[in-house]
Order: sequence, then structure tokens, then C-alpha cells
Amino acid sequence: MAIDINEDNLKHGLLGLVIAIVEIIRDALKHQALRRMEGGSLTEEEIERLGRALEEIDIAIDQMKEEQGVSDAVKQVRDGLDDLVDDVLDQIINPEGWEEETKLKDI
Amino acid sequence: MAEARYVYCIVASPQKVKLGKIGLDGNRVYTIPYQDISAVVHDCNAKPYESKDSEEVKNWVITHEKVVETTWGRLGTVLPFGFDTIIKADKDKGAEEVVIDWLKGDYQNLREKLHKVKGKAEYGVQVSWDTKFISQLLTEKDEELEKLSEEIKSKPKGVAYMYKQKLEKILRGKLEKEAEIYFKEFYERIKKCIEDIRVEKLKKEEEPWQMLMNVSCLAYKKGVEALGEELDKINSMEGFSVRFTGPWPPYSFV
Repeated sequence: MAIDINEDNLKHGLLGLVIAIVEIIRDALKHQALRRMEGGSLTEEEIERLGRALEEIDIAIDQMKEEQGVSDAVKQVRDGLDDLVDDVLDQIINPEGWEEETKLKDI
Repeated sequence: MAEARYVYCIVASPQKVKLGKIGLDGNRVYTIPYQDISAVVHDCNAKPYESKDSEEVKNWVITHEKVVETTWGRLGTVLPFGFDTIIKADKDKGAEEVVIDWLKGDYQNLREKLHKVKGKAEYGVQVSWDTKFISQLLTEKDEELEKLSEEIKSKPKGVAYMYKQKLEKILRGKLEKEAEIYFKEFYERIKKCIEDIRVEKLKKEEEPWQMLMNVSCLAYKKGVEALGEELDKINSMEGFSVRFTGPWPPYSFV
């Protein structure tokens, strides 16, 4: 990931990073909540409370992104992280192929 | 002193030829032959072409591709190299000698590869689908999902939200399965029309579109007609879109 830093976009980029992390934690929360519900251990009232709370978090995050104008920045960070994870997995699955690719660039 | 050679491609030609000032930054491009193959190069310094200016890099890459295309048109079958492939001089050998030694050492391999791509070109095929449209189709066809969908309308806000999360999770699973089925089907149909195929990484697209398949195809110019027909069929499927590019020199088959 190439980062082009200047004063203007430093705060912007940092905020994008922070909110991206918040979103990832939020997603993990949703995942866990879903598992609990599917596990059958929650009452209808508990499910109602859980759903409302999660929806409020969604709305708060969307609002934050809009107010700060960082929706694109957040998406970029998350897409970048996805690519990073893909690359690491590629390395693990095929270490020789990755080595070959880096060697060819400098015969 | 030009202690290195920037390599554009290998060409199936024994000729010592000057191609003119068509290289990066207007450098003179020429061939270094070894028997019946040649490396297409320009003289350069032993460091890679790097720049913070993305326009400059873009122009370099375009120039690189143009040199490969020109060589392809003028001299014959090419094995293109990626941008910034540079061969340096050794401590006791000049750069030109290193290039010739490399051609000599890898001769069999290079000739085989040249033979493999002779008369063929590379074509890029990308198939994408509209996940929103397909999700709707899948929901309509599935009893469990239809039921969930209906229930969501009548439940209180919080429960409806959680049910919606469940619905989306099931849909994601189904989409993944469908994607795999379509990939396999399209792959087989495409493979029948061409000589060789490479699977490439999927690219991110703007929602709700999602790339399903990204392949590089090696085909004779005549085989391309059959490929085109097959891709037309896929493109006219509702919710699907095909991007078909080429002909390119066979970068992915080197």
C-alpha cells in the first residue's frame, strides 16, 4: 500500500484507519450476536435488545463517516487490508511462486 | 557507461536489427541475437526505472508495451517481459555478454515457449455479476429465504434487524456456492475454445457488481471467434456482464 502523506490528508487518512477498525470490530460483534441467536440461548426480548443496539451502532458509524467525509478513505483501508491478507495467504500457499516473482524483477 | 540492458522481450528472430528511438525516454531499441532468437533491449544504467510521478511511470509502461507490440508486428513471435526487467553487467562480463550467456543458457526453454505461443495472442476475459440482482433471484427460488424475508416484515425492529443479518449470512453462503458453480461452468466452456488458460486474481468492483472470474486466454486468431460467441452467450445472461480484451502479446504465458 503506497501512502502519499501531506498535512491535509494525514488527519483524513488516520480517521479512515480508525473507523475502518471500528467497523471490523462491529462486524465481529454482529457475527457473535448472530451465533448466540442461532444457538438458541437468547429470549425474544434479548434478541430485540441486541438488534436495536447493533442497528444504532450501524447508524452512528454511517453518520460519522458522512460528517467527516471519510467513507472513501475507510473503503480504501478495508480493501487494502483485504489485498494484504490475500498476499500473505499467497505467500504461505506458494512460497516459491512468490520468490520467483520477486526475483524476476531483478535478474 | 551503460552497464546494463533493459529487456523488453525475446523475439523469434536471428536478425541484428535497430528498431529506432522507440524505447523508454527515447532510448534506442535494438536486438541482441543468439542463434535464432534475440533479446530486444536498450542500453541503460544498472538501476530500475522508478518515479514518484505516476504519469511518468504510466508513460514508461505504455512505451514498454508499444515496443513489444512493434517487435511483434515487425519481427515475429515474442515472449514479452514485464516492465523494468533489467540485466546488469557482471564483474568480469559486460552487459551484452551477460545477455548472450543468458540466452545461451536458457535457449531450449525460450525456444519451447516461443513455439508454444507462435501464431497466438492473449485475450483477457472478466466475468462479473450483479450480486443484488442474483441475490433477489436466489431468495425468490428458496423457501427458507422467502419465509425469513416475510417474517422480517412483521417482527419488531430489533428482531427484524437480527433476522436480516441471518438472511444476509445465508445469502452470502448461497452466493459463494453459486459463484463456484458458475466459475467452473464458464471455465470449461471457455477452455474448449482456446489453447491455454491462466486464472488471474479477481479485481474489486463497485457494488453491487462483483467479479466472478478473471482469466487470461491464449488463442489462435481464428479460435477467438468461437470464444467471442461463447462470451456473448454469457454476457446476455441476466445479471451477468463480460469484459473481453485483446489481442495482447502473451504476457501471461511467458
